[in-house]
Amino acid sequence: MRRALPAVCLVLALALSSCAPQKRTASFFAMDTFMELTVYGEESVLDDTRALIERLEGELSVTDPDSEIRALNQNGTAELGEDARSLLERALEICALTGGALDITVYPVVRAWGFTVGEYRVPEPEEIAALLEKVDYTRISDLTLPEGFMVDLGAVAKGRASDEAVRIWGEAGVKSGLMSLGGSVYAMGTKPDGSRWRVGIRDPFSDGLLAAVEVEDRAVVTSGGYERYFEENGERYHHIIDPKTGYPARSGLASVTVIGGEGTLCDGLSTAFYVMGLERALELWRSARLEVEAVFVTEDGEITVTEGLEGSFEPLGDYKNAEIKVVGRG
Amino acid sequence: MVKTKIWVFLILAILVIAAAASALVLTRPAAGRVARIYVDGELVREVDLDRVAAQERYTVRTDRGENVILLEPGRIRVESADCPDQICVKAGWLADSAAPIVCLPHRLVIELGGETELDAEAG
Repeated sequence: MRRALPAVCLVLALALSSCAPQKRTASFFAMDTFMELTVYGEESVLDDTRALIERLEGELSVTDPDSEIRALNQNGTAELGEDARSLLERALEICALTGGALDITVYPVVRAWGFTVGEYRVPEPEEIAALLEKVDYTRISDLTLPEGFMVDLGAVAKGRASDEAVRIWGEAGVKSGLMSLGGSVYAMGTKPDGSRWRVGIRDPFSDGLLAAVEVEDRAVVTSGGYERYFEENGERYHHIIDPKTGYPARSGLASVTVIGGEGTLCDGLSTAFYVMGLERALELWRSARLEVEAVFVTEDGEITVTEGLEGSFEPLGDYKNAEIKVVGRG
Repeated sequence: MVKTKIWVFLILAILVIAAAASALVLTRPAAGRVARIYVDGELVREVDLDRVAAQERYTVRTDRGENVILLEPGRIRVESADCPDQICVKAGWLADSAAPIVCLPHRLVIELGGETELDAEAG
């Protein structure tokens, strides 16, 4: 008995101490948003993630005088590093996929509305018409911009940052992690207990929640006009500008949430779907066989979800008894 | 023989104490919803929302500007602010959400501590 004692103590010590990776969190401001990271792993993973996001911000920012994108916008051409080049190429693919509902060249119009700095104004129709001459992603070739054109990767930058973060988490052996990059969520793996992450979707009509989705290895990105907007003479103007009209998109949607494995695609599609409206977005979702799921909320408060979310979509609060329309690929 | 018994007794006692302690920790009622107000990452105030008895205003003033925070039993919001985008004001009440209220121009964040039902919130 006595001889077994050290072994018994060792077994007890191991049983009582936890060998699971520790939960670590960090939050900071970057890319014009507030970011929150949670990983089950080493502290250095968080430092590396923050450094990665700050590097991407430095390269991709449309306002930072030293960024590669700024240089591209000023000179029409620039030495782009791997990050900026690959994201610009991916963004152009999403622009093409969505028939220009996402258009990274809409920046001059967005700037005229004051959404880039928060100093809002309603531009004159002539001003918008003139600026729309400089909006057309198809005129970018060989990563060179025509005279007067400007690109903004803001609609996909946070999504790309989440994809890159997940990549370095994987390399560091992290099996479980969650990030919210200013409301663009990526849930990596499962929770340490093996259950799926529960991600809330904001109610576009109140400060409450619409629903929760349970996900694993998925980005969850919402676009809506309910957060960044201003009012003038009783009109409400939100920040998602339709590249075809130069005015805030009016497609009948209050918000769109896109859920999928690639953050960059989800980020770009949420904006594009919001601009397209329910019918056109579903048409594209079916015809292009997009590997994403989506939650659409119309301005009338009707909720439509794609079939892949059945079983993981749970309406909350005021929506618990709401009728949810489920659509298939048909 | 006697000594062995003492050891067995000791180990059993440790196990019982450990079990009792974990039971206490695990069954403790959830901590009240604590709102934490940060400016530039520094905690400037912590409020247990379940202990707020009456409406109260709390103003955060920095070189960047001013946010007037309204506290009510169980909830907190930014009532007014002199930031250009007003996103913090439009965010409304924070009561059970996993998403913080953020005033980017003023680097102000209001977050709920403790466990929430959700792990994150998209929006």
